[in-house]
Amino acid sequence: MQSIPLPTSRRRALAGSAVGFGWLAARNLLAGTVDHGLPVRARRVIFMFMKGGPSHVDTFDPKPKLSADDGKPFPAAKPRVQFAATGNLLASPWRFRRYGECGSPVSDLFPHVARHVDRICFLHGVHGTNAAHGGAVLKLHTGSDTFVRPGMGAWVSYGLGTLNTDLPAFVTICPTLAHGGANNWGSAFLPARHQGVPLGVASRPATEARMKFIANPRWSADVQRAQLDFIRGLGDQAAADPVLESRLESFELAFRMQRAMPTVEDLSGETRETLALYGLDDPVTANFGRQCLLARRFAEAGVRFIQVTHSDGKVQWDQHADLLAGHGEKAAEVDKPIAGLLEDLARRGLLDDTLVVWSGEFGRTPVAQGTNGRDHNPEGFTIWMAGGGVRGGFRYGATDDYGYYAVDGRMSIHDVHATILHLLGVDHLRLTYRHGGRDFRLTDVAGEVHEAVVA
Amino acid sequence: MALRRLLALSLLLAGAVAPGRARAGEAHLTADDFTARVAPVLERRCGHCHGAQRQEGGLRLDSFAGLVAGGDSGPAIVPGSLAESLLARAVLRRDETLLMPPGEALPADELALVTAWIEAGAPHPGGSLEPPPPLPPFDPVAQRAHWSFTPVVRPPVPVVAGAADPIDAFVRQALAAVGVEPTGPADRATLLRRVTFDLTGLPPSADEVAAFLADDSPDAFARVVDRLLDSPQYGEHWARHWLDVVRYADSNGLDENVAHGTAWRYRDWVIASLNEDLPYDRFLRRQVAGDLLATPDTPAAERNALFVATGFLVLGPKVLAEGDQAKLAADVVDEQVDTLSRAFLGLSFGCARCHNHKFDPVSQADYAALAGIFTSTRSMESLARIARWQENVVATPEALAAHAEATATVEARKGAVAAELASARGAVAAAGTDPATVAEESLPEEVHQRLTALRDAVAEAERAVVPLDTAMGVVEGTPADARIAIRGDHLVPGRRVPRGVPVVLEIDGPLAIPPAASGRRELADWLTDPRHPLTARVIVNRVWRWHFGRGIVATTDNFGRLGDRPVNQPLLDWLAAELVDSGWSLKALHRRILLSAAWQRSSTAADSPTAARALEVDPDNHLAWRATVRRLEAESIRDSLLAVGGTLDRSMGGSLLHVANRAFLFDHTSIDGTRYDAPRRSIYMPVIRNHIQDCLWLFDCTDGAVPCGDRGTSTVPSQALWLLNGDLVLDVAERVATSVLAATPGDGAPRPLLLFRRVLGRSPTAAEERLVAEAVARITARLAEAGTPPAGREAAAWTAVAQGLLAGDELLFVR
Repeated sequence: MQSIPLPTSRRRALAGSAVGFGWLAARNLLAGTVDHGLPVRARRVIFMFMKGGPSHVDTFDPKPKLSADDGKPFPAAKPRVQFAATGNLLASPWRFRRYGECGSPVSDLFPHVARHVDRICFLHGVHGTNAAHGGAVLKLHTGSDTFVRPGMGAWVSYGLGTLNTDLPAFVTICPTLAHGGANNWGSAFLPARHQGVPLGVASRPATEARMKFIANPRWSADVQRAQLDFIRGLGDQAAADPVLESRLESFELAFRMQRAMPTVEDLSGETRETLALYGLDDPVTANFGRQCLLARRFAEAGVRFIQVTHSDGKVQWDQHADLLAGHGEKAAEVDKPIAGLLEDLARRGLLDDTLVVWSGEFGRTPVAQGTNGRDHNPEGFTIWMAGGGVRGGFRYGATDDYGYYAVDGRMSIHDVHATILHLLGVDHLRLTYRHGGRDFRLTDVAGEVHEAVVA
Repeated sequence: MALRRLLALSLLLAGAVAPGRARAGEAHLTADDFTARVAPVLERRCGHCHGAQRQEGGLRLDSFAGLVAGGDSGPAIVPGSLAESLLARAVLRRDETLLMPPGEALPADELALVTAWIEAGAPHPGGSLEPPPPLPPFDPVAQRAHWSFTPVVRPPVPVVAGAADPIDAFVRQALAAVGVEPTGPADRATLLRRVTFDLTGLPPSADEVAAFLADDSPDAFARVVDRLLDSPQYGEHWARHWLDVVRYADSNGLDENVAHGTAWRYRDWVIASLNEDLPYDRFLRRQVAGDLLATPDTPAAERNALFVATGFLVLGPKVLAEGDQAKLAADVVDEQVDTLSRAFLGLSFGCARCHNHKFDPVSQADYAALAGIFTSTRSMESLARIARWQENVVATPEALAAHAEATATVEARKGAVAAELASARGAVAAAGTDPATVAEESLPEEVHQRLTALRDAVAEAERAVVPLDTAMGVVEGTPADARIAIRGDHLVPGRRVPRGVPVVLEIDGPLAIPPAASGRRELADWLTDPRHPLTARVIVNRVWRWHFGRGIVATTDNFGRLGDRPVNQPLLDWLAAELVDSGWSLKALHRRILLSAAWQRSSTAADSPTAARALEVDPDNHLAWRATVRRLEAESIRDSLLAVGGTLDRSMGGSLLHVANRAFLFDHTSIDGTRYDAPRRSIYMPVIRNHIQDCLWLFDCTDGAVPCGDRGTSTVPSQALWLLNGDLVLDVAERVATSVLAATPGDGAPRPLLLFRRVLGRSPTAAEERLVAEAVARITARLAEAGTPPAGREAAAWTAVAQGLLAGDELLFVR
């Protein structure tokens, strides 16, 4: 950690006084590290969000009975609230194989990720609350599909602060602007510095993923240095005030940040082998591969919470029709980059304390929509985690024989959040923020830590 | 849900009971085990909420009779049946809507014991099966002692030496109690800048500064206040405050971000209402029940404005793609109840949707009473995905007449088509056959030609129909009392509650709502009753907050038990009484406050004779012993920059949205189609939820999702990045530099003066002139090193220095 150099002036005296909260504010950028007396298994999170809702029964949660009963009616009640009308059972068009020492099954959609199953803990009993994209995306990111609440990354920033004062604590790379958009990485009532910093947007290539206003179109760093000195000189003419003092510090921090960000984002020092590992040498995988590589670089540089989003300007993983082509295309774009990230984190020793989370906003129905698609299914789906103290090579929870409902090891989204915080050494019951007269939590009034997934 | 639950339950319970069975010995539980083992577990784990003191959900678990009698949802146990025993379902935690105890689940051994005991037929020692009488669940009347629920009684103005003004007398009295003397008055230039930003959100012009500094008449400042209150910019600036309170936005945000294409009419109505000083009680009444206040004699423009005002009730964010329509309907009402209570009363009734309010005397029944008023109101045209909020026609009589005429023309021309077809078919139909069965294609060519011409005429007439203007708003729905939702679950309805207001806040007993009315009119009457303990207190506190930066009650949106206490209740109550007695005039309230010495004080602590003590006992200036240095609000920062750059477009009103009503601002493509390039005042820039304009968002404007009467002021590096690297600041800096250089070709001696006048409306000090000269020299040298051609260096250096002045403290802060 670096200390922030203060100019030698009467401001220094002010900074030490009872009203000098500018200095305190600067220190708070570093602090915020809660100590709940829990083991810290993960020090940072990489959250890979698969927009649109990948199908669990076609990827990581095989259902032999679904294949056997292809075309037959689902033998139990469908949910009271469904997104669209659906028909009979639809077998997965993909073959599943067992991998690794653990023998966890993975479909042919994810042959690269499959090689890492011994590092992966599959959560097969996850269930959400909302069958529409918007509600489900917001629920996954913020814990609420009803109210505007801080995003998970904002809570982590609030609880744990940053490991590098020259960088934001929470970045989100190529986020989607739909279905909650900025609410998903916003800080809501938490202090503004905890909101995620978006780098680029899902509709634009990852090569354009930059923090807004991080570069000056006109001035060199030398000219900006002179501008800052001028601003400081003007400030020294006026009566001292703690608010103005912390403002000057924020200019200095911004100045350093605009040097630090491009350094992290510069991939020119990466070897050809590493670029290939993430699939940057292949147009199919290059875009998501770049996001994953940036995620590793931000993780190394000390960012607490890094989100990468697999989305685009089309329908993403949302295969209401033509599952075969759609999921085939989507999986091909992410499979190798995800595997590359896991491999790279592991060989750099980062995977041990980096929690990698893979999730869509819901799964898909085992019953067909139309002839060859699947509808949204929040009733039971799969999220997986790797590294960061989770139990690798483990499958936790289950959906029913067809994959419609979570029936065993059921984890609500609140449970998922509670468990993620737990792995970070944070007690979700005690990570609270007082707003509007009461204490709020990421997990609202619910959430249980599922110890079974902890290594 | 029921089917789903049963399926889930049947799949689950088979496995879930296994621990109970598996434990040796638990199969032979006896009545003594209830007393010795089961009851203590229930007491320890559940007694806090379901015991003698409190009975959440009407349930007590401290006796066998209580278990059998159950609560609002039915019996807690059905001996022998885990599937039918709510207690078992709750502690097994398999059903998300019923997780008990909240937080940590029962330890495995206790869980096994309780479930095994129920399975064993719930053996118990006998005795009475009469449930213990529940305590009176809620005694709101006893809670009326909370300070904000007591009636406002105008306090006598204390006699304080040197404080003739009542506000000053109250403030000085509170300060004297802690041994603090306030600072002296601010200098006149500071005062003019402060009041101009305070009332209009814009900087004073150089001419206004000169005129005020030259005017030494005793009422010079009062005349400035009047001038500013009379300017249209007053309404623009103070409407922005109000829009924060009513979570105004031009898009839905939340899940489906579609355009509120007509919300701007509400915004413009707020601006106009404030400018004409519409009394606050009428301002509120129209927002709650405007549609009910129009009579057949009401002039059309006024009638339309009344309907526009009800947009307040519809502006909230909604989960428009919610598949569960009953839930969506309940959520919309919940948002209305919570916004209304926070905005007007400083209370959050939303908590009581699911349970009696934990801290304030608002019960679930109170919530249902209020919710019934809104379930009886039509706020949504359709709940089917993507749901549509209510829009009311607010067209002028001329537009209505033109529309009727144009529509009639369409119908007439359609009639001509039908007549032509009928006659042509009749002519060719074989005798005894139905002419309608004649295929149009079989008609003669000349008929086709005539039909084509007639149909073209229909299309032309249809194009001539101008859609009628509409506005978001409400109308009466189907009046009916609402039911309590058990645990907030709309699928588990409890008893019906007559429409009304929370018992603790009733003024003349329950509202008398006619069976055929929603009750909004009666609700509005109650809200604006001069005896209401909260309405006036809440608004005067909001106005005080916007003038001073901190409310007399710091928690402007929470006057409940968890909110802050007023730091000076006599002052608050006096202001509230004064507002009501003045006929609810907000402009009169502004004058009162701005003309007090308290508002006009210097912000420099050293200007207090007791500065050291003041900084010690009241460092955050709760008691207003000085003015607080405040950063401009986001909108004022942008507006000031545009004003300094000379490009601010001061035209008023209208919509800058570039998409049609209900069209997507953001869909799954993540393509950013927002446009924020108009140089209009920020209040007219579209408020796109989830995607607020960068410069406003960075400087703490609200997200338009929930009421906010107390914006934060953050200091984060991203603000500095925007000031250093953003296009707007660079553009303004360039304009300023160009004008400075254009005015004085050749020697640059007076340039610092021109620069300061243009940006800050004042002359620089000698030290500041030196700083400017040094900065220009240093930057010119850097530019030379970097290879900038000599011809471009001067303009570039002055642009860079102008940017520094724009980004500095003085433009962005008011002292």
